[in-house]
Amino acid sequence: MIDIDDIKAVQGDFTLRVKGLTLKDNGLVAVLGNNGSGKSTFLSVLIGLKDFNGLYQLGGKDFNSLSPRDSGRVFSFLPQSVSLNMPFDVFYVVLTGRFAHTDGWRYSKADHDSTERVIERLDIAHLRDRQFNELSGGEKQRVLLARTLNKDTPVILLDEPFSNTDILHQHKLVRLIKQLAEEKLILVVIHDLPLAIREFDRFLFFESGTLSYNVPKAELKAEKLSRIFGVSVKFIKHEDKIFVYTEE
Amino acid sequence: MRGNRRIKVIVTVTTLLLFASIALAISIGAVKIHLFNMSEVERSILLHVRLPRVLLAGLVGAALVFSGALFQYVMKNPLADSFTTGVSASSAMGAVTAIMLGFERILPLFALAGGLTGLTAVYKISSVKGRIQPVTMLLAGIVVSTFSSASISFMKYLSDDSVSSIIFWLMGGFSSASMSKVITLAVVLIVSYLVIRRDFLSLDLICFDDMTAEAGGVDVGRLRRKVFFIAALLTAFSVGYAGIIGFAGLVIPHIIRLMRLVKAYELIPMSLLGGALFMIVNDLIARVILPDGQELPVGILTSFIGGLFFLSLLIKRKKELYYFD
Repeated sequence: MIDIDDIKAVQGDFTLRVKGLTLKDNGLVAVLGNNGSGKSTFLSVLIGLKDFNGLYQLGGKDFNSLSPRDSGRVFSFLPQSVSLNMPFDVFYVVLTGRFAHTDGWRYSKADHDSTERVIERLDIAHLRDRQFNELSGGEKQRVLLARTLNKDTPVILLDEPFSNTDILHQHKLVRLIKQLAEEKLILVVIHDLPLAIREFDRFLFFESGTLSYNVPKAELKAEKLSRIFGVSVKFIKHEDKIFVYTEE
Repeated sequence: MRGNRRIKVIVTVTTLLLFASIALAISIGAVKIHLFNMSEVERSILLHVRLPRVLLAGLVGAALVFSGALFQYVMKNPLADSFTTGVSASSAMGAVTAIMLGFERILPLFALAGGLTGLTAVYKISSVKGRIQPVTMLLAGIVVSTFSSASISFMKYLSDDSVSSIIFWLMGGFSSASMSKVITLAVVLIVSYLVIRRDFLSLDLICFDDMTAEAGGVDVGRLRRKVFFIAALLTAFSVGYAGIIGFAGLVIPHIIRLMRLVKAYELIPMSLLGGALFMIVNDLIARVILPDGQELPVGILTSFIGGLFFLSLLIKRKKELYYFD
C-alpha cells in the first residue's frame, strides 16, 4: 500500500527523513518516539497535508500524481487535537466524517446509515443528541474516533487516539482496531509502550526526525528501545505474554 | 425528524413575519397608504417610494447578515461581521473616493476594492500560522475602521460641497432607494447564495480546526478566499446603497445559533430571512419614531441595538473570546 524510497520534509529548522519503508495493505502499525521526534509530521506527510521531496508511492502510484480527492479516498486521519467552534450534536459530528463520500451538497441515506452503525460500534449511541463540546475528554475522543472510522477508507492514521479514554474503553477500542486491521492498514501514534508491544504487529520508531528502527514484533530488542527512549526498557516474559518494564 | 419539524416551524413563522412586516412597512409612513383602497397619489407613492425602499431595506438586511454569518465561519469568531472586521468602513472609504472622483456610477466597484483591501489587512494582521486570533482581529478591525474614517474625513475636508450628503449616507439609510438598486442587489444576493450553497457542507467542516477540515477533504485555503470575496462583495453593495449599518450581521446570526440552528444549511437561509425582517422593522421604526415626518438614520438604530447586544456578548462570553475553542 505504502512504498517510501527516501523522502525528506522540512518545517522550519526541523527535517523529517524517512528511508526504505514498505507497509502492506493491512496490519496494525505503532508509531513511536519521544516528543518532537517527527511522528506527527510523518503522518502529515503520508496524507499529503505537508509537502515533501523524494519518492513515495501509494497503492503503486506516485503520490504527487494523485489529486487530493484521490488520496482523500485512501486515508482517514485523526489529528492529535481537534477543536470545534460550532455547537454541533454528536451525531452530526460523526456524520461530517463522511464528507469525502458526498457530492458536496448533502449527506446521503448511506452516509446516515454508516453513521448509525459506527456510533453503535463505538458505544456512543446514547450521546447522539448531546452537544459535542459539552462531553468529557474521553467521550470526545471516542466520538472523534467514530468520526474518523466513519470515513471507511483502506488506510487509517490515528494520532494518540487513546489519550483521555478510560481503561475499559481503551480495551474495547483496541479490540475494534485490531478487528479492522485484518483488512485495513492502521497506523497509530502511541506513547504507551507496554500497550503498543502487547497489541501491535509492527513498530516504527522515530528519533530526531529520522525513522531509525522499523521492526515486526518478533524482532523487537529491549536494548535498542532503551537507547531510543533514553530510559531503561526491560521485557519480562510471563507464560505467553510479554510485560514491559521501564525505569530511568 | 423532531429537529426538522422545529426548523420548519421557525422558518414558516419568520417568513410570515417577514411578509407581515413588508405589508406594514409599505402602508405606514409620512403618508398612510390604504392597501386595499388606494388613491392615485397613494399608488404612486407606494410604487416609486415606499416599495423600493422597503425592498432595499430587506435586501440590505439579508446581505449584511449573510456576510456576517460568512465572516464568522472564516474568522472562526462569533464577533466577526462586516462592521467589526472593518470591511464596512473600508468599503465606505472606497465609496467616498468614488464620489469624490465623480465615479458614482461604479460606486459599488470602488466599495468592493476598499472592502477587499481592508479585509486583507485585518486577515493578515490577525492570523498567526493560519489561525485567527479573536482579540487581535477586533483590534485590527478597529485600526482599519479608524484609518478608513480618517481618510473619509480627510476627503470631506478637501471638498466640502458634497459633505452633507456624504455624512447622511454614512450614517446609513434607505432614503435613496430605487428599483434599479433593488434589482442589482437582488441579483448579487441570489448569485452569492447560489455560489455559497455549493459549500454548505464544507462550511460546517471548517468549524473544526484546519487540519481536521483538510484531512476531511476540504480545500480550506480556497474555500476561505472564496467566502471572503463573497462576504466582501455583499458588504460593498450594502454599503454602496445604504451606507454603514452596524451590527446587524453580528446580532442576527447569534440569535439564530441560540435557536439551535447551527448547520450551514439551516443557519444561512435563516440569516437571509432574519436579516431582511430585522432591517425592514428597523427602517420602519426609524421612519416613524420622530414626529413631523422626520427620519432617523437607520444605522443609528441598528448600532444602538447591536451595540448593547455586543456589550452583553463581551461581558457574558469573555472567556470564549480569549480561548476560542
